[in-house]
Amino acid sequence: MATRGWYPTDSDVEEEDEDETSSPSPSALPSPSSPLPYFDRDRHVAFLEMMYNLIPHYYQSQEINRLTLAFFTISGLHLLQALDRVDKDRVANWVLSFQAHPQSKAELKNGQFYGFHGSRTSQFPPDENGLSPYNAGHLASTYCALAILKTVGYNLLTIDKESILISMRNLQQPDGSFMPLHVGAETDLRFVYCAAAVCFMLEDWSGMDREKAKEYILNCQSYDGGFGLSPGSESHGGGTYCAVASLRLMGYIEDDLLSKNASSSIINVPLLLDWSMQRQATDGGFQGRANKASDTCYAFWIGAVLRILGGYKFIDKIALRSFLLTCQSEFGGFSKYPEMQPDIYHSYYGCTAFSLLEEPGLNPLCAELGMTDLAALGII
Amino acid sequence: MANGHPSFLALLFPPPALGSYRTLKMESDEPDGHSLSRRAEWCDVTPLPQDDGPNPVVPIAYKEEFRETMDYFRAIYQADERSPRAFRLTRQAIVANPGNYTVWHFRRLLLQTLNVDLYEELDFLQQIANSNSKNYQLWHHRRWVVERLGIDARAKELQLTKKILSLDAKNYHAWSHRQWVLQALGGWEDELDYCQQLLEEDIFNNSAWNQRYFVITRSPFLGGLKAMRESEVRYTVEAILAKPENESPWRYLRGLYKDNIEVWVNDPQISLVCLKVMNAKSNYVFALSMLLDLLCHGFQPSEEFRDAVDALWTSDNHPLDSDLAKAVCCILEHVDSLRASYWRWRKCKLPLAA
Repeated sequence: MATRGWYPTDSDVEEEDEDETSSPSPSALPSPSSPLPYFDRDRHVAFLEMMYNLIPHYYQSQEINRLTLAFFTISGLHLLQALDRVDKDRVANWVLSFQAHPQSKAELKNGQFYGFHGSRTSQFPPDENGLSPYNAGHLASTYCALAILKTVGYNLLTIDKESILISMRNLQQPDGSFMPLHVGAETDLRFVYCAAAVCFMLEDWSGMDREKAKEYILNCQSYDGGFGLSPGSESHGGGTYCAVASLRLMGYIEDDLLSKNASSSIINVPLLLDWSMQRQATDGGFQGRANKASDTCYAFWIGAVLRILGGYKFIDKIALRSFLLTCQSEFGGFSKYPEMQPDIYHSYYGCTAFSLLEEPGLNPLCAELGMTDLAALGII
Repeated sequence: MANGHPSFLALLFPPPALGSYRTLKMESDEPDGHSLSRRAEWCDVTPLPQDDGPNPVVPIAYKEEFRETMDYFRAIYQADERSPRAFRLTRQAIVANPGNYTVWHFRRLLLQTLNVDLYEELDFLQQIANSNSKNYQLWHHRRWVVERLGIDARAKELQLTKKILSLDAKNYHAWSHRQWVLQALGGWEDELDYCQQLLEEDIFNNSAWNQRYFVITRSPFLGGLKAMRESEVRYTVEAILAKPENESPWRYLRGLYKDNIEVWVNDPQISLVCLKVMNAKSNYVFALSMLLDLLCHGFQPSEEFRDAVDALWTSDNHPLDSDLAKAVCCILEHVDSLRASYWRWRKCKLPLAA
């Protein structure tokens, strides 16, 4: 690289992360130096392949989420039809090594979650008694692990799914929400989604009480039609995706609702649709909340909601594409806002957004699972 | 999934849980000086390296300082050493790795074993709050501490979130924490005033509108949505007329009639605000959209509405539809062209409501 990479402790990053606090300017989008007028597939492949081989030190604070970084990298390469860059067996073995295993069936009642660790930080071999007191299986890491395994074509029937599903029930709260870790953490819609996705991928719903989860989700629908991350919270692109995708995965809403009789739906579909459509801003990008700046990743979060509902066809694709190209980095990958440095997360969601736009050369996306259709369907 | 996202979960989310990409910044850093391996205090501990396995994928190029901190952390974690030096080490590990929920969890165990003054812990969190205001683990830890302090901590929490929000009035975590504090510990009395103040500073702040809704529907001092409706409608209409291009008050206005659609359709104040904005002939997209919804729900418009809509149509060659709802859709197709396909679909689906 000619210029130095992005350092997380830079003060300008502080500014970048502070979304505007006052009303957005209604003017046209800023004119970048010279954004490429096309999706630069080869450069994104190079960016992700680089990450696959070695992630720069400034991601070390993301160590705890290593499996998530792996998911973005590997699934990203699959979206770009570049999975040949990945050693599938090596990936499968590596991912499987993060699984927490009980020593006996009896342990499944001890309250711990026998899913996948997110990293090696606190993964120790069992002690002399064969116990693993440090088990910190994490629901989001479990979602990522299973998604990666599906992407590399690993047969999920061969893993110990029973331990995952039985112990996952320990994580569900009385109000229907999920904690990601048995030792305690925040509970919100993100982890309801992870739980639903895990059950869906394992083709087994014994891991959760779907009815309770549904009730929690419905309690998260805001007065404006979107969903917040928890009841009472402001409606948010990520929360709305988690809500709608979960309901779809659990079977509570049909595919392409808008073509069917929406009035019988358990959620206020017309209001949700109107809210979602309003998230496309004058610069062509999607915002996560009303009166906030457009951000690359909401092209996926909101775009996927619209796709699930059957309303993706309504968006202004040309305007969206134009915005996304201003967030495309000359180094490969995508940034959150125009003309900033790319990061792995926004690079992944930039690619998913282009897949939703049906960019030639990209694999189609499974909106509900946030990965390729091929992986979701088990066709490798 | 990152920051306000989950990784999703961000999340994200967005997706699932991703903490801030930044390393923690201490506003009053202790002089750390020598690396752990060279400090007498740690000479009896063998650091435990990370076992990355034979063929790791996405290896991270850890800096030496980071690696060392985490190697020592692993050692004391596995030994379950509940000592003051372990407690200090968790602080260092948190600085290096603020998203690491294992470290935060171990710190909580230490807080209990060592019987640390939890108000001191709040001070520690306060020191690092400003630079790390979007870190899920930090906020969760804070909630854990406050749960143990109970109502005595309430004022401090409301003060802290207010301070964070003064720097970033839309910080999702701060709002979430504030809502939790109000519900768990009370303090509702001044909340509506606080929303008012924030909206005076920025009428476009959707988070403040959301909080206003939260307060009027849940505050034990205010009597609930129906009781508050009239005064809130007045407030909201004023906000709309001041800035009709602001989406937030329009959504809020509709929200005031949640589960009472009939009342919403028949309340003359609602249709009147649409009419006023249309007649002003400026920033009328949301007014048209609301009129469309009213019509879909059975609103019977007077002639004034027809006139107002006609006045917004400037083409002579292409007359507007005689059906008012269809006419509104036509105009929206043109003036809100980003959503032209959506408005065309709304037109053909009439009278399907939003």
